Amino acid sequence: MNRTARLPSTLAALLALALATAAAAKPVSVKGSDTMVILGQRWAEAYMNTTPGQVVMVTGGGSGTGIAALINGTTDICQASRAMRPDEKLKLRDRYQTMGVETPVARDGVTIYVHGSNPVPSLTIAQVRDIYMGRVTNWKQVGGRDATILLYGRENSSGTYGFFKEMVLANRDFADRLQALPGTSAVVNAVSKDPNGIGYGGAAYAKGVKEVPLKKDDGGAPVLPSLASVSDGSYPLSRYLFFYTRQKPAGDVKKFVDWVLTPEGQKIVGAVGYYPLK
Amino acid sequence: MRLPRALALAALLALPAQARAQEAVPAEGSTPVTKEEVHALLEGFTEQISTMQTDLDKLKKFKFSGYVQARSEVGEASSDSVRVTGSSATSPGTFTSPNVSRFFIRRARLKLTYDSSPLSRAVVYFDGGSDRTIRLLEGYVTLLDPWTPLHDHALTMGQFNVPFGWEIERSSSVRELPERSRAENVLFSGERDRGLKLDSQWTPQLSTSFALLNGGGVNSADFAATDPTRGKDFVGRVRWSQGPWDAAVSYYAGRQTTPLTGPDVETDKTRIGFDAQAYYTAPRLGGGSLRAEVYSGHDVNADSLKAIVTGASGARLLVPGRDPAHLATDFRGGYVMWVQNAGDRAQLVARYDVWDPNADADHDQYRRLGVGVNAFYDGFTRLTVSYDAITTEAPAGAGSYRDPKDNLWTFQLQHKF
Repeated sequence: MNRTARLPSTLAALLALALATAAAAKPVSVKGSDTMVILGQRWAEAYMNTTPGQVVMVTGGGSGTGIAALINGTTDICQASRAMRPDEKLKLRDRYQTMGVETPVARDGVTIYVHGSNPVPSLTIAQVRDIYMGRVTNWKQVGGRDATILLYGRENSSGTYGFFKEMVLANRDFADRLQALPGTSAVVNAVSKDPNGIGYGGAAYAKGVKEVPLKKDDGGAPVLPSLASVSDGSYPLSRYLFFYTRQKPAGDVKKFVDWVLTPEGQKIVGAVGYYPLK
Repeated sequence: MRLPRALALAALLALPAQARAQEAVPAEGSTPVTKEEVHALLEGFTEQISTMQTDLDKLKKFKFSGYVQARSEVGEASSDSVRVTGSSATSPGTFTSPNVSRFFIRRARLKLTYDSSPLSRAVVYFDGGSDRTIRLLEGYVTLLDPWTPLHDHALTMGQFNVPFGWEIERSSSVRELPERSRAENVLFSGERDRGLKLDSQWTPQLSTSFALLNGGGVNSADFAATDPTRGKDFVGRVRWSQGPWDAAVSYYAGRQTTPLTGPDVETDKTRIGFDAQAYYTAPRLGGGSLRAEVYSGHDVNADSLKAIVTGASGARLLVPGRDPAHLATDFRGGYVMWVQNAGDRAQLVARYDVWDPNADADHDQYRRLGVGVNAFYDGFTRLTVSYDAITTEAPAGAGSYRDPKDNLWTFQLQHKF
């Protein structure tokens, strides 16, 4: 075959390849909160089953990491278990001239975990604050046995860290002796093996540990996180879980975000252990 | 940190299996591993991990960041780039005919931040661009107030950006056009000075900055040694941020020394600035912004310096009969700027800026229309292509004036880390 004859077929093949590439859906990347990574993966699996040809890639790293990726342009959607901070919004504005678009996608109750053998019946928010700031160091000071409290928490790139610091510690600093662990699973794992440990994290992770009912104050009723208590706000540490995009979602990103908010998407929220929006 | 943890986990998993195997079929000449030995081994690992965690926590207090801007410029024969020889308001570098295009490193910067505690931090910031000399760009210590949860007040001492207006404190790594406006370049050459600064965030909307400075700025000849005026310059700024728009008023008051043979001349230096930025989102294209900043005040300017001071034989003398008070003139300057993102990977920019060093004189203005495109290769690297159409009014003898051919193309690759 001479070159002249080969040229049209080569061009046709290239054109077909280009059209096929253009027609194929671009993968949607989702990055951020470790609290939400399992939820995000379940959403992605279900969405890809219902939307053949669409790929959704979900990775963790923490809300801070996800927000940094949103600013750097290396993710389409950031999953965050806390709201974006003003300095992060300014960085996004510097690059994209937008303040980001926040979409609540689920609700959660940040849970206080202790070892299954821990006899403490409940804690007030003030007691939890004192424990994590190092003012209370022995379980007997809050109605438990005579043993030193061992603190487990999250690294500062975590949205749960930021939420807990703001809502419980009123933005004061954690005690120096807190052991910061990479992921809520690690916190649960550590507390499940430590009779004197205490940790915090998303409600969906509370397996193999005891969840401590929380009281808003001394006179309040002890409340555990549940669909009812998180929805009506009676659980003191309820929060929204968010998707952040650089601007109003469009195209494949919008389709995925919209699907997450459908009854089908919200059903997965409950199945994973969080609380649907409605 | 992951490797030791992985090793510890492997040891945990492997040792019980090994122990079980030895219970079933004790190897000849070997001793079974006891629970106490496993426990001791675990404790050893835990201790090692704790030590490494402590070391890692210390290292995490160091934060390195920086960026490199590799640039190519192509100018017309008379192009006067303020950056060619390390800028100075009085003697800008010049392109000569044989050198109207070049490659160079505009900025190569490395910043080290050490967050020593929740209440203090230190920053050291170096630049090695342009003339390949490593120089200290910033160096300061900041104390954060212990009485507000979010540390709303910060006291900084050292060498830092002058808190005036909008452009000055905006990093060159995020700016959409390669250089700041001409007015800013002349008034705040180098953007930095030494002194004491108090930044406060009073409400989510209201913030203030006040500073006392030596006043010369990092590019002044006597910067490194002393503050020749002895009195400190004052600068203050009040900013209001309301969601999609920001606005601020800035004020600067100080003295400026003009060194002469014999007694130096000191003149007042006052600067007032107003800046505003508004943000919007355009359908399909994405975010965009409109910005404006104006400067006015009274300051020594290069033209009056040339007219009043003579520098023959190495001496700097006042021309006989000239009033030294005329060294300083009323100036005006400013810019309007438009930035529009086109998706996530491209950005269009246009800016018009003016600089009038003497509001009472004609034919001494500088006007520039700059347009540019930013293409983002990935999250860290971008290409900037810009074109500056410059009008520089210059004397052409016998009372006539001309606009030298000094337009400029800039191509710049930047990587930020």
